[in-house]
Amino acid sequence: MRGNTVVIAALNKVLTRKLTAINQYFLHARMFKNWGFATLNSKIYKASIEEMKHADDVIERILLLDGLPNLQELGKLYIGEEPAEMLKLDDKLQTEDIRHIRDAISVCETEHDFVSRQMLAKILEQQEEHQDWLDTQRSLIETIGVENYLQQQL
Amino acid sequence: MYVCLCEGVTDKEIEKAVDQGARTMRDLRRNLCVGSQCGKCTCHARDVLHEALQARPDVIEVPIRDASIPMDAEVIYS
Repeated sequence: MRGNTVVIAALNKVLTRKLTAINQYFLHARMFKNWGFATLNSKIYKASIEEMKHADDVIERILLLDGLPNLQELGKLYIGEEPAEMLKLDDKLQTEDIRHIRDAISVCETEHDFVSRQMLAKILEQQEEHQDWLDTQRSLIETIGVENYLQQQL
Repeated sequence: MYVCLCEGVTDKEIEKAVDQGARTMRDLRRNLCVGSQCGKCTCHARDVLHEALQARPDVIEVPIRDASIPMDAEVIYS
C-alpha cells in the first residue's frame, strides 16, 4: 500500500527514539544487575523489551506503507553513573519520547492515517504507564531516601 | 552521567579537566578523547564545558552557540 511520505517520516522519527530507548534501558538494566539490584534489573529489562516490540510495530507499519524503516539512525544515550541518576535520565528520555509520539499522532491525524494513529496511541498508553512508574520511583527516593529505596530493589 | 559513551567520559571528568586548564573542545578531545569516535556527544560535551567555564571566575566570556546554525567542525575544534 502506497503510504503518505509525511507519515512515513514521522514514523521513522518515532522508530529512532525507540531504537535509542532499547539500548539505554538495556544497558541500565544490566548495570543494575551487575550491582545486585535484581528488581530494578527485571523492571528496566522488560521496559527495553517493550521498546523493542514497539519498534517492531513501527517497522512493520512503515514497510506496509511502502516506506523504508531507518534502523541505522540512533540518538544519543543518556547513561547514568549511579541508580538514582539512571532512573532520572530514563525519565528524561521517556518524557521526550512521549512528546515525539504525540507529535507523530497529530501528523497522522492531519494526514488522515487513522491506523498509524491507532498504533501510536497504543504505544503512547504503554509509555505513559512506564513514565508513571518512573515518577513513582523518583518520589519514593525523595520520601524514603535513596539508601532505603535501594534496599528494596535487591 | 556519561557524556561520551565511546570513550567512557563523564561530566565530572570534563569539569575536572576544566579545573586543570581545559578551555576548548579541542582541549577536551586531546585530554579525554571526547567525541573522537561517533561524535554524537559533541553538543552535550560542549554544553557541559560551557557550564563548567561559566562557573569559573577567571573566564570572562564564553562563546554561545546559536542552536539554529549547524555546527562547523572547524569551529568546534579550533
